Amino acid sequence: MLSDDNKERVTKAVEVAKVAAHWGWVPFVIYVGFVNANPKPSLIKLLSPLA
Amino acid sequence: MSGYQQVAPGEAAPVLQQNEVAAKLHPEQPKSASESVLSPITSTYNRFMDWRKSLNLGSPGTAEAMGREAKTTLLSNFIFDGARADLTKGISLNPAFQVTHSFSLGSQQAPPNYSFGAVYADAKSFLQGAVDHTGTLTGRANQSFANLGTGKIQAQLSEVPGQSMIQLEHDYQGLDYSINGKAMNPSLVDGTGIYIGSYLQSITPNIALGLETLVQRPQPGISESLTSYLVRLSGSNRDWLATAQINPSGMLEATYHHKLSDKVDAAATLQVINRPQGKEASASLGAKYDFRMASFRGQLDSTGKVSALLEQRFTPAFAFLVAGEIDHLKNASKFGVGIMLESTTMTPEEMNAAMQSVPQPPI
Repeated sequence: MLSDDNKERVTKAVEVAKVAAHWGWVPFVIYVGFVNANPKPSLIKLLSPLA
Repeated sequence: MSGYQQVAPGEAAPVLQQNEVAAKLHPEQPKSASESVLSPITSTYNRFMDWRKSLNLGSPGTAEAMGREAKTTLLSNFIFDGARADLTKGISLNPAFQVTHSFSLGSQQAPPNYSFGAVYADAKSFLQGAVDHTGTLTGRANQSFANLGTGKIQAQLSEVPGQSMIQLEHDYQGLDYSINGKAMNPSLVDGTGIYIGSYLQSITPNIALGLETLVQRPQPGISESLTSYLVRLSGSNRDWLATAQINPSGMLEATYHHKLSDKVDAAATLQVINRPQGKEASASLGAKYDFRMASFRGQLDSTGKVSALLEQRFTPAFAFLVAGEIDHLKNASKFGVGIMLESTTMTPEEMNAAMQSVPQPPI
């Protein structure tokens, strides 16, 4: 079983991972799409709803 | 034969024969004494596998996908009220990549909402993320690992404490069975969370039986489990499909889907809850018509609701939606209109070139 110290570390790590996923996930999906897309789009066309 | 075959999603994963495994593990070794000792076992195993293949049972699909045909025919999952607009921009077809802006307004149930999402899909992975104006993220990621099935993560992350959830899942489809394991909000520290395991096995080409066990650990030291039984029956020429999930605590969920023709689907669902406190049941019956540029869904249910949804495509890039529901018992109604606009940054030539081979992502 985990010691109290380690429990705290795990909780902290999960918290950090959660914040990273919260702010990083959509940019990550866009980055993966942008890199692999064929043909390559321009960034402004990617983000604006109208262009 | 190459050791790492590509497996299309939905297709049964190739099963390694015992002798193939042995050949892979010891490629150049001459036949050893231990192998000749094991040979009666491997030959029996091979005969068993050949017999099993000859039955031609087919994959039963996953336990989670049971009843999906009925759910996509009924409009309960598609109905909305108020006004909504979805602007989708296709950036690439192979691999698929698109971004979506969606707006919704004036709904009786939900506050006005704006969300921005992105989807990326190729033959091995599926990534999706959407963030709304309150900063809530919903996302999913599926990754298929050739022979080892598909791993899935689904999450909703919010600033508001207690509204975040994460679900980890693994799917494996064998020759004539499927296994699925799920963990919802698992805690690494004290092991709390909800864990679900299911197994579905084809018994004949048309019948599959299965078990699903749910273990709930709301607090450390407390755990409850519940096992339900799954049945899936289908017609020999795949025109109808019936599923049922029964658990001993007194719940029954049954669905029926019938493909009446290429363009017409009918579906029915029944849910019965039988508890000592009282019985409850609800049923719904619906149909879906596909026209060349439109689809229409109509539904009746036992709570006195009549609803309809029309999706009309004026051009391939522009669709108009109308939804309505009348609750005769409560004397209430809902009404919704929506548009869907699809644009692309690709030229028609690029589009045609990409259309040739669009991969099927692991959903």
